Amino acid sequence: MSYCANCGVELDKDLISCPLCGFSIGKATVSETNNHSEYYPSDIILAHKKESRRHIWELTGIISFSGIVVCTIVDFVIHKSLGWSLFADTSIIAAWICLTLVLLAFRKYFIIIPGMLLTILTMLFLFDLFSPPVNWFYGIGLPVTIALFVAISIITILWKVAHFRGFNILAIAFLVLSGFCIVSEVFIDKYLSDKVDIRWSAIVAVSILPIALVLLFIHYRMKKGKRLDSYFHL
Amino acid sequence: MKGKRIETKSIQEIGWLKLDNAAKLFPAIMSGELTSVFRITAFLKKPVRFSAIKEAVGITSRRFPYFSVSLGSGLFWYYLEYNQKLPRIQTEEKIPCTAFAAKRKNEPLYRILVKENRISVEFIHILTDGGGAFEYLKSLLYTYFILTGNTIHSTEGIMLPESPIAEEEMEDGYKRFFRKNTPPPGKLIKAWHLPFILNEKPRLNVIRSEIDLKKLLELTRGYNATVTEYLVSVYLYSLQKIYLEEKEEVKKQKRGVLRIEVPVNMRKKLPSITMRNFSLFVLPEIDLRLGIYSFEEILKIVNYQLQTGADIKQIGRFLSQNVGHEKSPFIRVLPLFIKSMAISAVYRRLGSNQCSGIMTNLGVVKIPEEMEDLIDSFEVVPTPPNTHVKISCAMVTFRNQLRLDFGNISRSTRFEMHFLKHLTEAGVPVKILINN
Repeated sequence: MSYCANCGVELDKDLISCPLCGFSIGKATVSETNNHSEYYPSDIILAHKKESRRHIWELTGIISFSGIVVCTIVDFVIHKSLGWSLFADTSIIAAWICLTLVLLAFRKYFIIIPGMLLTILTMLFLFDLFSPPVNWFYGIGLPVTIALFVAISIITILWKVAHFRGFNILAIAFLVLSGFCIVSEVFIDKYLSDKVDIRWSAIVAVSILPIALVLLFIHYRMKKGKRLDSYFHL
Repeated sequence: MKGKRIETKSIQEIGWLKLDNAAKLFPAIMSGELTSVFRITAFLKKPVRFSAIKEAVGITSRRFPYFSVSLGSGLFWYYLEYNQKLPRIQTEEKIPCTAFAAKRKNEPLYRILVKENRISVEFIHILTDGGGAFEYLKSLLYTYFILTGNTIHSTEGIMLPESPIAEEEMEDGYKRFFRKNTPPPGKLIKAWHLPFILNEKPRLNVIRSEIDLKKLLELTRGYNATVTEYLVSVYLYSLQKIYLEEKEEVKKQKRGVLRIEVPVNMRKKLPSITMRNFSLFVLPEIDLRLGIYSFEEILKIVNYQLQTGADIKQIGRFLSQNVGHEKSPFIRVLPLFIKSMAISAVYRRLGSNQCSGIMTNLGVVKIPEEMEDLIDSFEVVPTPPNTHVKISCAMVTFRNQLRLDFGNISRSTRFEMHFLKHLTEAGVPVKILINN
């Protein structure tokens, strides 16, 4: 009789790995092995969550595909050509790709964020292509979308590295948002009149700054690191 | 009291079961932390043999077919679907009482955990309570010992694998003994809660202790009290100590009631052999707004409250109230998702606020002497407490040993320190065991 060095249970002589924990015993044949995802009770929970995400993905895939078919047929039957349905179909596909990234690359932000950026840029580029002669993609669509994703990336990185996620993250998010507004106004002005005149974004930034300062004060002085999830839980 | 019999066919014929009255709460409130899972462990004298335990689980589970079910969701209620699946045999994790993926299709609702010389069963409360789980474990141990070449002549107190399965084993005891027009129990005011900061997730920490039963019995006899009465009093006395140490006067004035939830095995009160949930609670309490209590005063109050509270007429009021809610036509027609949200909200607002602590006593393990010789000890790990209560406690007695386990989700062990120190100061030896 041999013993598993990890579980300490007595095993049959022809087992090469422990059926309870997968620990290798190093014998000749296998007669009892479990699926690796079932060695510990918590593995089942993880497997269940993965399955649930896959079911949601499949269901939303069917709904999206049906939506595309319906939009395309209705548009074609009424107008004898494809017009508005091109926009609808592109939006549905982009939304489904974004959802796919969130569900299948679960919490892998370095895949989700660049993937979403590429999807949205492609969608905007196609919108621009479907509506000639206006060319707004390179002037506004591309820079503003990239600025938005840079802002989201900054907040996500801070969220990941922060030891205590509370009002401090909310304050930084407000500051990043005001930065995004300024960048957006610069590109909008350049596109519309070729002259940069910062107005509304400055008002947004000035209004947000005291809010951010109050939030930082609450976080570091008053609430001593109050958690967001417990504070806002319903 | 005879009660009305509900189920008449076997689970194999019916194919599904309604959740019992107590189980209806758990699918709505359970989560990754509030798992509603408890563990009972037998520490054997020899390492567990894998092939034998695997075979024993197969044999024993066929004797308890009503446990071979998974959770299904209907339009109005959750239900248990018979699936013939055996429980998983796994190894222990660092944290006991891990959640079940109970809402996964065909997922068993109990598991067998094996490590070194330990055989544990973990049940989700949807399936049964400590009483039912203990019967399963005793039967499993019996089969395992037979398969490993031991001879057990006396089988008293064991549900043998070959014994016939009685229909009453899967009845809903609550419904059977429900009586209409019973006045509901009085309303309870919110209880005071331990002011400790919660642990980071995963939160549960278990402190395991071994108490010399002989010395404890000598002590309790001196007070003319039972072990449960004495330990519940120690629980309240320890809570009072922490209450008095707390500085926030406003909170103390708002909630001055210390209340303990003590489950009562209804199988001992009513003629039922159900293997599903059949426990109710007695809620002994002291009101600190009336003043500070000495230990002797607390013991006197607890003695009175446990005896009158566990009286069948008194505890029957809780039974009738709970079943009455379930039978209400208005509640029955609500779709499941609304019902679940409502149950969860009511539990958060009322249920979890009612008590300051939980103390479960599974009593004395009665098994044949030949089996006793093969076992070192038994242990019960209570279900992880909710974030208000923070600490729960469970105990079981085997031979001259009382095992007391605290399930704690907070960062402080002040409560356990006060509790066990009280016992040692009273002359009862206490041993803190390694947390595996």
